[in-house]
Amino acid sequence: MAVFVAKRLATMILMLLLVATMIFLMFRTMPGDPTASMVDPSIPREARQALLERYGLHESLWTQYRIFMADLVRLDFGSSYFYNRPVLEVIGERLPATLILMFAAMLFAYALGVLGGAWMAWNRGTWREAAGITFSLIFRSAPTFWVGLMAVMLFAVTLGWFPAQGMRTTGYTGDTFREVFVSLDFLRHLILPAAVAGLYFLATPLLIMRNSMLEVMSEDYIEMARAKGLREIRILYKHAARNALLPVVTAGALFIGAAIGGQVLIEVVFSWPGLGREIVQAVTRSDYPLAQGIFIIISALVMSMNLAADIVYGLLDPRITYH
Amino acid sequence: MLDVQNLTIEYTTAAGPLRAVEDVSFTLQRGESLGIVGESGCGKTTATRALLRLLPKNGAITAGRILFDGDDLVRKSDAEIRRLRHRHIALISQSAMNALNPVYTVGEQIKEGIRAHTRMSDQEARARCVEVFGLVGLEAKRLDSYPHQLSGGMKQRAVIAMALSLEPEIIVADEPTTALDVVVQGRILQRLRQIRERISSSMIFITHDISVVGESCETIIVMYGGRIMERADTRSFFRAPAHPYSMGLQNAFPSIADIGHADLVSIPGSPPDLLAPQPGCRFRARCPFADADACQTRTPPLLQVADRHWAACWYTDQAAGFRARARDHATWRKAAADGR
Repeated sequence: MAVFVAKRLATMILMLLLVATMIFLMFRTMPGDPTASMVDPSIPREARQALLERYGLHESLWTQYRIFMADLVRLDFGSSYFYNRPVLEVIGERLPATLILMFAAMLFAYALGVLGGAWMAWNRGTWREAAGITFSLIFRSAPTFWVGLMAVMLFAVTLGWFPAQGMRTTGYTGDTFREVFVSLDFLRHLILPAAVAGLYFLATPLLIMRNSMLEVMSEDYIEMARAKGLREIRILYKHAARNALLPVVTAGALFIGAAIGGQVLIEVVFSWPGLGREIVQAVTRSDYPLAQGIFIIISALVMSMNLAADIVYGLLDPRITYH
Repeated sequence: MLDVQNLTIEYTTAAGPLRAVEDVSFTLQRGESLGIVGESGCGKTTATRALLRLLPKNGAITAGRILFDGDDLVRKSDAEIRRLRHRHIALISQSAMNALNPVYTVGEQIKEGIRAHTRMSDQEARARCVEVFGLVGLEAKRLDSYPHQLSGGMKQRAVIAMALSLEPEIIVADEPTTALDVVVQGRILQRLRQIRERISSSMIFITHDISVVGESCETIIVMYGGRIMERADTRSFFRAPAHPYSMGLQNAFPSIADIGHADLVSIPGSPPDLLAPQPGCRFRARCPFADADACQTRTPPLLQVADRHWAACWYTDQAAGFRARARDHATWRKAAADGR
C-alpha cells in the first residue's frame, strides 16, 4: 500500500509539471497582455516597455518558461501583477474558504445522495422514487445563481434564518485561520451556500447510487441475506449499499474538478471570498502568475482526490489490493 | 412437519398473469429427504422460494396453504417469517458462487445469521462457526477469508455450513452443486448426506439432474409446467416410472453403468407457455402417448399407481408398455414430428 501511494505521488508530480507547461503556454497564447489591465491604456510606449521588462515579459517564450519551471519546482509561484503580493499568499487566503465550502457541499450531496439513492432503489417503481429523481433533477437543471438568489430571498431576507452573504458578520476582521473559520458565526454563514451548492451536486451521487443499488439488489447474496432472516434495513445498508458504493466514489473524485468550476457562481451570489471568484478575475486581468498558480493548485487537488478514491476503493472492496 | 396443500403461485408480468406453480401438494416428514426434479422454468424453484416467502415482488401465492408444524406460513406476518427463516427453514442458494457477499469475510456472514436469531455472544457465534466448518470439512482459519479467496467447492461448503449453523428443521438446497465440476459435486453430495444423517434435518433438494436425486433422496417429485407430474418413493420411481415425462427424464440422463451400452434419449420440444394455459395435460404436446381425447381436454389429477407412488396421467394402467417404448428414440421423434 505504501509503495503504491509513493508511486502514485511520483506520477502526480510528473503530471503536475506537464500540466504547468500546458497552463503556461495557454496563457501566453491568449489575446491581450498584462499591462493592459495594470495601467491606463494611454500610458506612453516607453513606460509600458519598462513595465514589461520589469516583469520579464520581454524575454523569449523559452526563457520565460525556463524561469517559470525553475521557480515552480522550488514552489515559488511568483508575485501577482494585480495585488503585487506573492501568489501563494493570495491563494493561501482564498483556498481555505473555497475548500471548506466545497467539502461542506460535497458532504451534504454525498451523504444525502448515498442514503437517498439506496432508499430510492428500495422504493423502486413507487412515487417516492419518482419524487426523488424529480427533486434532484430540478436542482441540477436550474441555474445555480437563480437557486442561490431564491434561497437568499427566502431564508435570509424573508425568514431571516441565515445571513445573506459573506463568510463572517460584516465588520468582523480576523487574521489567523482559527479566528476566521472556527466559530458559530462562520457556520451560520456556511449553511446556505453549502446547501445550494450541495443541491446542485446532489443528482450525481443520488442517481449513480440508485442505479448501482438496483444492480446489486438482484445479486444472489442479497437473496441469501433475506433467506438468513435479516432485517430489510440491514440488508439494504450493510449488504447492498457497500457494494453499490464503488461507482459513486469514482464519480466523486472526477466530480471535484467540475465542482470547483461550478462554485464560481455560488461564490459570486453569496459574496464568498473564495478562489472561484479569484480565478475568473485573474484570467480577465491577464494576471499570469496568479492564474497559473490557481490552476496548478486545482490540478493538484483533482489528482489528490483521484488518489484518495483509489485508496477508498481498497478499503471498501477486499478484492482490490495494491502493489 | 411440512404440509403443502394446493399451492398456486402467479407472477404478474407485462404480458399478463403467469401461473408458475399450480395446485402443488406434498408433505415432508422430520428427517425426510425430498427431491424436486424438472426442467428450467417448471416451477420447482418458485415453489420452494414460497416456503420461505422469498418470491420476487411481482410473485404472489394466490391459493393454497403451507403448514409448518400446523401453522400456515402463507398467513404469517413478515416479521414472523423473518424469524422463521434460517432458524427453522434454511436455504442453500442456487449459485453458491454468488451467494456470499464479496465484501465481508465468510465468518462474518455466518456469524451474522447466527446472531440475527439467537442471543449468542460474538465468541459463542464464532465457536459455532468453527463447529459447522468442521462439519463441512473446512479449516477454521478459512472463516477469516473473503469469498474470492476460496475455491468454488470451498464456497459451496461455506454456504452449506451457513445453512447448518442453527440446525434448522428443513434445509432447502436449490441446485447446490450445479456450478461445480463432477468430482467436487460428488464429494459435496456425499457430505450433505452424512451431515443430514447426523443432525436429522429434513431436506428439500431441487435439481434438474435426476441422478442426484436417486443418490440422495427418499422421495421424488417430478414437476412440469408448474404442476406435479409424479410423486413417488425414489426406489419405486426408478424401478417403474409411471408418467411418460418421468420416463423421458430417466432416459435423458446417463448413469455410469449405461455408458457405451444404452443410447441417451432426449425429449424433443420445449415446456408449455404458462401465460396461456390450455386445458388438458401439460405434457401432451411432447408426449408420444397422448391421445386425442382425455389428454387434450381434461387435466389429469395425481392418481395412485402403487404404494407411495402417484402419477398425473390418464393412462397409468399402460405404464409398463410406455416404459418399453420410451427407450426407443423413434418414439419421441414421432411425437415431435406430429407436432401436437
